[in-house]
Amino acid sequence: MRVIPSQDERDLAAMCRGVLAADLEPDAQWKALADAGVLGLPVDGGLTDVGIFCVEAGRALCPRVVQSTMYAALAIDWLGVGSDWLPRLTSGDARGTYALFDPRDASVGLPVSGAADFVTDADVADVIIASTSSGVMAVDTSTGVSVEPVATMGGYPAFSVRFDDAAAGVDVDPARLRRLTNAIVALDCLDLVGVGEAVVERTVEYTKMREQFGRPIASFQAAQHLVADMHIALAAARLAAQSAVFWIGKGRTATRETAVARMRAAEVKKITLDAHQLHGGMGYVVDTGLYKFSERARILSTLGGGADIAATWLENEMNWKPAR
Amino acid sequence: MDFELDDEQRGWVDEVRQFLAENVTAALKAEMAEHGLEFQGGELTAFRRKIGEKGWFGLNWPTQYGGLGLTPTHQHLLMSEFEYAGVPGPDLTVTSIAPMIMRHGTEQNKKDFLPGIARGEIVFALGYSEPNAGTDLAALRTRAVRDGDEWVINGSKIWNSGAQRSTHEWLCVRTDPDAPRHRGISVIAVPVDSPGIEIHPLIAWSGYRTNETFFNDVRVPAANLIGEVNAGWTYITGALDLERGALTNAGDLRRALDDLIAIAGSPEPAFRRRLAQAEADVEVAKLMGYEAASLLDSGRIPSIEVSVEKIFTSELRQRIADLAIDVLGPDGLRVGTFFERLYRVSPLMRFGGGTNEVLRDVIAQRGHTMPSYGR
Repeated sequence: MRVIPSQDERDLAAMCRGVLAADLEPDAQWKALADAGVLGLPVDGGLTDVGIFCVEAGRALCPRVVQSTMYAALAIDWLGVGSDWLPRLTSGDARGTYALFDPRDASVGLPVSGAADFVTDADVADVIIASTSSGVMAVDTSTGVSVEPVATMGGYPAFSVRFDDAAAGVDVDPARLRRLTNAIVALDCLDLVGVGEAVVERTVEYTKMREQFGRPIASFQAAQHLVADMHIALAAARLAAQSAVFWIGKGRTATRETAVARMRAAEVKKITLDAHQLHGGMGYVVDTGLYKFSERARILSTLGGGADIAATWLENEMNWKPAR
Repeated sequence: MDFELDDEQRGWVDEVRQFLAENVTAALKAEMAEHGLEFQGGELTAFRRKIGEKGWFGLNWPTQYGGLGLTPTHQHLLMSEFEYAGVPGPDLTVTSIAPMIMRHGTEQNKKDFLPGIARGEIVFALGYSEPNAGTDLAALRTRAVRDGDEWVINGSKIWNSGAQRSTHEWLCVRTDPDAPRHRGISVIAVPVDSPGIEIHPLIAWSGYRTNETFFNDVRVPAANLIGEVNAGWTYITGALDLERGALTNAGDLRRALDDLIAIAGSPEPAFRRRLAQAEADVEVAKLMGYEAASLLDSGRIPSIEVSVEKIFTSELRQRIADLAIDVLGPDGLRVGTFFERLYRVSPLMRFGGGTNEVLRDVIAQRGHTMPSYGR
């Protein structure tokens, strides 16, 4: 047990942060990430390495298609479905996404066969790894798939997808599928942690710079205690998410840890709203961009189920017995 | 990042559990239920002696000081198990004072105190707060004046817990009243049986005994000054960080929640939800303990991290105590039951060991370099 990042992990984080910090157009950024080997992490690295990227992606508001593609690669690798796609996804030659669970509750398989709502990045994905009533399949989007945008908060790239699921999919043991969905949920919790880190840093900087009553508002105890509470919530979210990703990476389903991670990561929403409070009008105008973090926090702690849904996962894992 | 105990660490936990299974007897529990930690020469005294025989009072000290040379993680795992079993393990003398003596003490200090602490024979009470210096500890006024080969001490301390069963005071005194207030403070080890010391009990809401202790022309050898004169603030704050680390084990919270869930049986959905939220928080508290232990293993004193942990666990303890009585209803109010007492115990850790408000300042000011507002 050693709950601090290793030198390799710190180096990977620094490398990811460096690539994401470069001011690049989306296509150039995609290529830079591919060249840096980031898209290959789902097969070349451990799940913890993918998680390290997700923190940085959240911090940098990285377009979600990078993670959609990495999650699709994970699905292919772990479930043994559509393996032909794997080299194309990990090299950046193709983009992918997934429709593996009910966006309202990640513990539930897709309710309607051949149709999925709130599929992220379906417009640009070359392949969708989908869970249907006839099994898990790799759906090639060039073959008669209907993709309709769902106008979503913050211009989040969500789509309704209709596809032909007549072809036989691969039967996947529900526990293996659950491990994968837990991985996606837990990795998104790390994205939320990155969002929270960036927001706390921006907010602290702003409060030091902004003066009222002749002193920086950072010197007021009320402001400091809001920041301290943001820090505490973020520490809890970070540890819970890192633990879940670690145990899933070790081969466990880790539903308990994933539930805890999601319950704590949802607190990042509150961090962003408290950040708005500390910024006042300067965080409310769109020019400063704070709202982009707030939207990402609200969206990522909704898709797959929020804290209340995750609490039901945890309740199901707890040891309720007749009263003694 | 590695959240999994390795084979050696699992073996250590097994060894500690085995020790507790053999030595936490019904007689010990009965004595503690009746007298808390106060009964001398009985079961608890014998239990402490057994811990000493295992060498566990100095388990993470270097072998040169008579320790076992194990890691802070060993210490953390042991404390968690002791807390889960509801018995006192190595106390603050071992976990926070001894490391300060090793780090900052004179060779004489080390010789005088470390072997005795390791054997469980020397126990310190923390002499920090005064009636007018609580959260604002640097305002302390108890004076020590050098007179030949002795220090002469006058003043009083409050919240001087455990003085009645300690051998020494870890006494924070002002040695230079003219220096800036953080720079005129020293730490002196004062034998509790010195002439001129009077201990007056103060009984808390939980039934816990603490003390107000008076020092009237108390004389101690000059060699009892810890480290260097007027450098005490560093030792106090370092010891406080270690104290917070030791106070933030989640073992007792895990036990409380396990017991509550067992008593609750099949609770109403609303209670089930709140219990699940507490379950998530206890898990997080455990991870925070792992993180602090890992940082200590790597040679750092985790100051911000233990402030976070201390706030998180102390507020969680109050939530669990409150939730328990909500779940149990009137039965939760019965005197002599665990949760009735926990409700009264739980305020202590929220203000003790540095109030959570000051620790929030610490997180903001030390962790995020937000400016001091004049504290």
